[in-house]
This record gives sequence, C-alpha cells and structure tokens, in this order.
Amino acid sequence: MRITRKVVAFTAVAAASALALTACSTSDDSSSNPTKTGGDDSGINTETSVNIAWNQPFYSANGTSITGNATANNVILYMLNSQFKYYDENLKLTPDTSFGTYEKVSDDPLTIKYTFADTAQWSDGTPAGPEDLLLEWAAQSGKFNTVEQKTDDEGNVTNQDELNKGVYFDGASPGIALIKETPKIDGKSITFVYSKPFADWDTNIDVNLPAHVVAQRALGITDAKEASDKLIAAIDNNTTADLSKIAKVWSNDFNFVQMPAAADKNLLVTSGPYTITDYVKDQYITLTANPDYKGDHKAVFNKVTVRYNGDPMGQVTALQNGEVDLINPQATADVLTALKKLPNTTVSSGPEGTYEHVDLQFTNGGPFDPKTYGGDKDKALKVREAFLKTIPRQEIVDKLVKPLDPTAAIRNSFTQVPGSPMYDGIVDANGQKAYDTVDIDGAKQLLSEAGASKVKVRLLFDPANTRRQNEYQLIKASAEQAGITVEPYKVQTDWGTDLSNATKFYDAALFGWQSQSTAVTESDANYRTGAANNFYGYSNKKVDSLFDELQTTTDTAKQEEILSGVETELVKDAFGVTIFQFPGVTAYNPTKIGGVSKLTIAPTIFYGFWNWTAGDAAKK
Amino acid sequence: MLNFLTRRLVAGLITLFVSLFLMYWLVDIAIDPLKDLRESTAPNKEQLIAARIKLLDLDTNVVVRFFHWFTDVLHGDFGIAWRSGQPVSDLVAHAIGSTLQLVTAATFLSLLLGVVVGIVSALRQYSSFDYLIIFLSFLLYSLPSFWVAVLLKQWVAIGFNDFLADPKFAWTTIAIVAIVAGVLWSLAVGGTAVRRWQVFGISAAATFAMIAYLQVSDFWLEPKIGIVLLAILGAATAFAIAAIFAGLHNRRALYTALTVVAIGVVLYEPMQTVFKGDIFKVGSHGAGWLIFGLAVITLVVGFVVGRLYGGPDWGVSARTGAIVALIMGAMIYVDKVMQLWPPYTKALNGRPIPTFGDRTPELGGNYWVGVLDSFTHLMLPTLTLILIAFAAYTRYSRSSMLEVMSQDYIRTARAKGLPERVVVVRHGFRNTLIPLATIVPIDVITLLGGAVITEAVFARPGMGALFVNSLDGAEINPVMAYLLITASLAIVANIVADIIYASVDPRIRLDA
Repeated sequence: MRITRKVVAFTAVAAASALALTACSTSDDSSSNPTKTGGDDSGINTETSVNIAWNQPFYSANGTSITGNATANNVILYMLNSQFKYYDENLKLTPDTSFGTYEKVSDDPLTIKYTFADTAQWSDGTPAGPEDLLLEWAAQSGKFNTVEQKTDDEGNVTNQDELNKGVYFDGASPGIALIKETPKIDGKSITFVYSKPFADWDTNIDVNLPAHVVAQRALGITDAKEASDKLIAAIDNNTTADLSKIAKVWSNDFNFVQMPAAADKNLLVTSGPYTITDYVKDQYITLTANPDYKGDHKAVFNKVTVRYNGDPMGQVTALQNGEVDLINPQATADVLTALKKLPNTTVSSGPEGTYEHVDLQFTNGGPFDPKTYGGDKDKALKVREAFLKTIPRQEIVDKLVKPLDPTAAIRNSFTQVPGSPMYDGIVDANGQKAYDTVDIDGAKQLLSEAGASKVKVRLLFDPANTRRQNEYQLIKASAEQAGITVEPYKVQTDWGTDLSNATKFYDAALFGWQSQSTAVTESDANYRTGAANNFYGYSNKKVDSLFDELQTTTDTAKQEEILSGVETELVKDAFGVTIFQFPGVTAYNPTKIGGVSKLTIAPTIFYGFWNWTAGDAAKK
Repeated sequence: MLNFLTRRLVAGLITLFVSLFLMYWLVDIAIDPLKDLRESTAPNKEQLIAARIKLLDLDTNVVVRFFHWFTDVLHGDFGIAWRSGQPVSDLVAHAIGSTLQLVTAATFLSLLLGVVVGIVSALRQYSSFDYLIIFLSFLLYSLPSFWVAVLLKQWVAIGFNDFLADPKFAWTTIAIVAIVAGVLWSLAVGGTAVRRWQVFGISAAATFAMIAYLQVSDFWLEPKIGIVLLAILGAATAFAIAAIFAGLHNRRALYTALTVVAIGVVLYEPMQTVFKGDIFKVGSHGAGWLIFGLAVITLVVGFVVGRLYGGPDWGVSARTGAIVALIMGAMIYVDKVMQLWPPYTKALNGRPIPTFGDRTPELGGNYWVGVLDSFTHLMLPTLTLILIAFAAYTRYSRSSMLEVMSQDYIRTARAKGLPERVVVVRHGFRNTLIPLATIVPIDVITLLGGAVITEAVFARPGMGALFVNSLDGAEINPVMAYLLITASLAIVANIVADIIYASVDPRIRLDA
C-alpha cells in the first residue's frame, strides 16, 4: 500500500505548490489573457431573439392537407403566412385588409369575392394573388382527384404508378367541396360561387401555399408568372398531366422536419411577417422577420425561436433558467405550483379548446332508453333528467379545475366555446343553467314519478385518465344520494373504440370534444340523427331540421337563433350536460416579452404576435 | 469457434423473430392510431377516420400486418412514420447519432470512476472508506434517474447559473469543503494514525489552496489552465501515472513521463496558433478529424519517447509515455475550450448551463464554441447517467477484486516478494477485469437503446425519445424499428461478451 500513499502525497504536494505559484502566475495573466483572444474570433451570434417552448415539432408547411393539419404546424404557419382574416381576442373574425378583402356579393347563389391588396406579397417578391386561392380550392374540393392513394400497412404507397398518372390531392374539406364551379379570376380578385348556401363560408377557405412555387416545382418552370399562368390553365382546362404533378407537389413537398436543402429553398416562401431561417430537427425552429413584408402585422421581434420540449416540468425549469421566455405547458397542479414559485414570471390560466361533457345513451336498452319502460318516453326522460340533476358540475369545476385555473366556470353551451361571440346569447336561451346546482330532491321526485327504482348507470370514461377517474368518483357519490348507482363500464377494446362500437355496454359517456374553430356547423355531426359523433341513437326531428336550416343560413344573428333552438331541444330531451373547458396555463418572462394573450383555439399563445412587446432585457 | 458462432447466431435469430412477433402484437394492442380523431369535431371526421384506417391498413389482421412489415424489413425497408410522413430509417439514423454522443462519454467515465473507486474500496475492505463507498453506491443505485435529473437541473444548472451572478464562496465554505476532502483522502489512504493525520493535513491544505486559487483567479467567470498550471498538473500526472504503471523506482518510465510533459508545455503556445487556424473558423468542417489526428500523433509521440529511453523494459515506459501524452493533449484541448467561456457566458446572458436540448439555438460561433456548447448540453444528462452507472460498476469491481485478492496466486506473488504495487496492478487488477469484460459490452450496447428517461427529461432527440414519442403518437413502424435494433444489439452483445470472456480467460473454451 505504500505506493498508493506516495501517489496521494505527490498529488497533494503538487496541488499545494499550485498555491505557491498562484502569486507568480497571476502576474503573467495579462500577457496572454485568453478572454480577449477567445472573444474576438469566437464568431458567436449576439443578436437576441425571443424563445418559446412548444411540445411537438413542426412537420409540414401545408397546414390544410390531411397530413399537415395539426396544431404543431398551424401555430408556426400563423406567423409565417398572411390570411384574409384572423380571430380577434373574442374569437371574432377580423379581416386583414393589408392582405386583401372579401365580400359576399350575393346570397343566392352564395357568391364570395376575394380581392388581394397590393401589399400582399410572397417573400420571393412574387405578388400573392387569386391563383393561390384557386390552387387551394382545387386541392380541397376533391373535384380533380381521379385516383385514391392505396397503401400497405407500412404507409408505403402501393399504387404509385397509378398515382403518377392520376391526380391525388391530400386534402378534403366538405365546405370547399360545396364550391362546384371553377372560380373566376378577374385581375386581383377571385369569385367563388357556392352550389348551395353555406353557413361557415367565412371560415371556409383561405390562402395556404404559394401557387407559383407549387407550379415551379411541379412543372419545372423558373419564371413565377409563367408558372402561375400554367397552373391556372391546368385547373381551368382540367389538364390531368399537369394537375397530377401539381397535386404531388402540393401533397408531399411541403412536409419537412428540418431545414430543406439549398435547392429546395423555395419551400420556405411565405406571405407573412416571418420566414423560417433555421430548423434543427427535434430541437428548434427559428423564424426571422421577413424584410419584404408590407402588411399590418409587423414583427415585433426580429427573431422568434420555437424550442421543442415535451416535458411540462422541463419547460418550467427552462423558463426559470432563462432558456425560454414563454411557455404553455400541459397544465397540472404541480406545474402551476412550480410556476407560482418562480420570481419574475407572469403566470396566467385560462380555458383551452377541449371541453368535458356527459352524454346519455338513448337506444341501448339501458336506464335511459324508453324501451326499458315499455316504450314510455316520458318515464325515460324523467330518469335522464334525474341523473343529470345529480351530476355535481360546480363541485367538479371547484375541485378539479379551479386549482389549475381559478377563473374556471361551468360551460353551458353544447355548441360554442366560452368567450366566442354567440356563447352568452345561446346560454341564456338554452336552459342548461337549470343543471348548475345539484338537485337531489328533484331527482328523487322524478325517479318516483317514473316509478324507476334501483337505477344503475354504467359510465364510460378513460380509466387511465386520473381527472376522469376523479370526476367519476364525484358523480358516483352525488348520484348515490338520489338512489342512482353509477359504476364504471366494463372496457371491451378501449374506451374510444367502445364509444362507437360497444354502445350496449355503457349508459352514459364522459369525455372531451375538441373545438377546432368557431364554425357553427361543426356541432352538426354531434347531435343530428345518425351523424358521425352521435353514438347514442339520439334522434330529434326538430334538431335535424334546424341543422338543415343552419347549413344554409349565412346571417350570424339567425345562426345564433337556430343554435339556441337546437340547444333548447337538447336540454329539453335531457341529452346530457357539458361540464367545463380544459384548463391551460401560460407563463412568460416579462423582462423579455409582454403583451402575450391566448386564444382557446389554435394559435393559442401565438395569437396576436404583432401586439407583443419587447421587454427591457430583449431590447439590449 | 465457428461451430459456436453458428449455433449462437441461429439461436439469436430465432429469438429475434419470436420477440419481434410478440412485440408487434403487443404494441398493436397498446396503441390507438385513431385516438386523436375520436375526440375531433371536424366535419369530415368519418372521411378522415376511413382515410387513416386505409393508410395504416387497420382492417387487416395484426398477424398478417406483422408479416407484411417483416418482409419489408427483410428488404431493408423500415416503413414510414405516418404522422409526419418521414421514413423510419432517417429517424433512426438521426436518433442513433444523438444517443451515441450522450452514451459514449457517460459509459467511459462511469467505468473509469467505478472501477477505480471499487478497487480502492476492496483494498480497504471493512474500513470506514469501504463502508462509505458501499453506502454511497447503494444510495445512488437506488435513485430513480428522473429524480436525479430534476435535482441536477435545479442545483447544478440553475444553482450554478445563479452562483455565477456573484461567483464568490464564503471562506468558511471553502474551509469545510477542504476538511471533508481531507477526511475522504485520509480514509481512502489509511495506515497508521500519524500517516492519516499527515494525509489529512496535506490533502485538506491542497484542496483549500486549489479552491482559493480558483476563487482568486476568477476561475468561474474566466476559467483557464494556462501554461503554468499546465506544467504543474502535468508533472503531477507524470508522477502519478509512472507510480501506478511502472513504479517510481523505474526511472526510465518516470523520465519518459516528465519528458512528455515538458514537450507538452513547450508546444502549448504554438498550439494556440494552430487552434486559430482556418479549419476551426466559423463554417469550416473537418476540425473534429484534425483533432482526432492530433490525438493519435500525441499518443505516438508519447510512445516514441518511451521507446527512446530504451532499457530492457521499454514497453512499460512507452505505455506510460503514451498515457501521459494523451492527458497532456486533453488538458491543452480543454484549456482552449475554456478560453471561449467568457464570450459564451455573455451570449447566454450569464446563464451558461442549460437544462434541455442538445444545442443553443442560433448561437453561431466557430468549432470551439460548438464544442463548448455540446459540452454544456451534455453535462447534466451525462452526470445523471454516470451517477447511476458508476454505482453498479463500483459494486462489480469491488466484489471481483475481493475475490481475486483472496486467490492463491496472489498469495504466491506476495510470497515471492513482489512489491505490493505489482501485486495489485499486475496480478489483481487484470484478473478483476475478467468478469467486467462480460458486463461492459452488454451495458454499452443496451445503452445504445437510449436512456429513455434521461433523454425525455432533457429533451434530447435520441433513441429513447424516438421510442417513447412514437409509442405516444401510435406510430408502430418507428417503435418496431427501435425494438428490432435494440433486440439485435442485445443478441450481438451477448455473443461478443462470450467471445471476450473466452479470449481473456484461458480457462474458458468456446468449442468445449
């Protein structure tokens, strides 16, 4: 062991002599000061940018294709591209006149005219124009699709030869499909004529990809004007050979997960305040202000970097460490507690796009089906009402949502997001407020009137979701007081599949619907007889005919009236109850960024980026 | 040998096939590719669902789908990650790169540290030091990595960054650290009471001096080694390496080591000019290869110096020279990287240690900035992995060393009068490595599967992250590609471990 000791002794002596030499060495520092030499040629970028954390990386610049339509893409595209209209803070559509204007020319047939402003311009210098909207129409209407893509389980396309010859656009919009006639271009304007009136015409179509770039890539033409003309001709004359190539470029070329190669730089052409200047796979995407942008939504920050981190707590730590300046993590009580402890951080809570609700089964032979009571509809209705009266909506909000969002309130509309223009009017009319407080006595009375005793409700919910587990516990405890037994349904495949396929196994369903926009016809599929999201056998002729009317109503006041009518019917039929809007949390560093506000639907925290203000630290 | 290999390979392939089939089936049960569409209120929801069912062929039985997938894999086609439309082979290639970066340093450092500490602990069996190490290694071994990661983020990243705002330790803090270090050293070295006090005094003073030096020289804001410190640290290294690998009585080895240090010190200034060369400037490539080349040259120079000192046992000198040369080279390299610290810290608003990602966005900078940026981003995840793996290696090497040291041939070696250093290093240490030879290849290769949790917590885009994200996104192809790679690597690792075992231990024969 002597040797080991020697080693230590030597090391120690050496380290000690380091001290002795410190005095001498401090003096010769100045001669070879590494700070200065290192600093001069390091080439470090000193430009400041604002950093935003997001959970899922961007993967497609075509935000309306079936593949690319995802929030991760749309929040980035919101800053990259200009559109005819934007949501304002109250979810009201506001036109961006610096890009263009649109007007309803006639109601019958519904005719909409879009006119591009002179300041509407793509970042490669080409003016944005009617051909861009024409391409979007061609892609989404389904009119030109001649073949369908066939794939094996790998996702590999199996009928590539056929597709090469035919036309397949990876897009489908039922609203745009209502425009059957090829739109007419007149100078800077384009006019769409709907084959029948359509309620959501104003959210229906907007500029997406640059038509000239698609045409340049597809048809191998370098001149932008010539390429656009060829594209217009191909659409007007339905030239399959050209459309086939155009469709392929439209569907595939704009999907990328890192900076495209130099030869593909035209994929990065944008019409808005920002352009993509750097994209490192899975790490970050950097947007730099577009010097050629002439519109109203001027970039506040020259550079915006969106950094990807899927871990909510990781985002909080990154905010604390100054690596990111604005976060919108998935809200949990832990995240909120951690955020509140951070100094110099502005934290705000608010509702998000998904809302929780309970729906009842009408035709499965369960407690809510008239058949159980010998076809007596009134009895079934009373049992449904009794059950809904016991659902402790306020308690659920207080106990499960308020800890995350102190401003949370019961959602009372079946069709509209709270805060949207129609919400208050509809809520006042539909009568769902009657279920705001639990009414055990009323429930008992209804049950005895119906002569139903020992009602057993099998509740479908996602057993892996803790919040829904807790909601179930609260509902169960409350319903028990009125003599209703609530139990979890027996999972058949998984709750999502069972929702539509195993309707015999549950009597009530507790889950969330996600709102994508304020489009009024969005709720059609939920409540119409036999519609895609109506798993419950619910059928009300009046609701159906109101929806028919709504489809073709373009006047907003009238739309509100119809939706109120629909919801009143839903409440009267005791279809179910809506409970709350999912809570979300936003936090930012006010020394770097200010003026942040958030929408309940996409683009969430990126909303109104032209109203952001640079904090003191970002101005340096 | 050939017979053995064939047998193992065939068995491995069968295992691989069966496990892939089972995994495909289980993953298919676990994921729900339609989940996001179910809660959607899109007007064309039915159309979207139908399109996705067709895209993923969900109507086909899972067994049939497995065979489709399997035949495609045999043709070298791993399929598409359907959510983003990216080919799986691209995703995997990117992920493996990131994982290799993370795992390489972590494995080697934890191995080095674990083996050294384990062996010292074994040599001091049942001493306070031994108990302390046992306690520490069990403690670290039982820590969940996500927790260690969060603690490190809070204390090492945020804590250190906060500290940098005013980088001064209280003198009492330094004194306490010095005393703790002194106690640790005296426990590790052991011996008589007088010897212990000596060791305690020297090492506590040395530690105090080191930290005081760092404090006085403003090391935290402007870290540097510099030519003077390089000479001192180099000399210490030379003595240490020579003492362990050759013994200080072997003057040739000692002189070799010191000569190499002298060469390193002389080359320090010229190297600063080389490091400013065009190849290291912003936008150039190939600097990594140049550095690799320089490392090889350094090794050769160290070796040649040893050879030139000659003598009957020149191999020992050459080896010592090569090791010392490599350490000198590493110190000069680190010194250069450290010189970039002030501008780097400034660019990051005085908070240089990051908590996630693998690079600072839009940093720019030359080769050295890139290296420093990678270092800072690798630091926390590497530390997390080291803390946990180190504990395991300590346990292995300790027990293995204990077993070896009780063997008859160790007693024989002592009986014939060999110095204790030779007994420990030549007879003990080498045989200790035999069991480790079977564990390490498997560890290294399974680590390639990615440190799932560590990667997720630090948002590094490695293999583990690929696996978790794909599973989350219900993309079966990348999940299966991941499982295929990790399963095949595990099988290969086992075969490799057997072969290594047979080659280091003559008692084992593969063909028996």
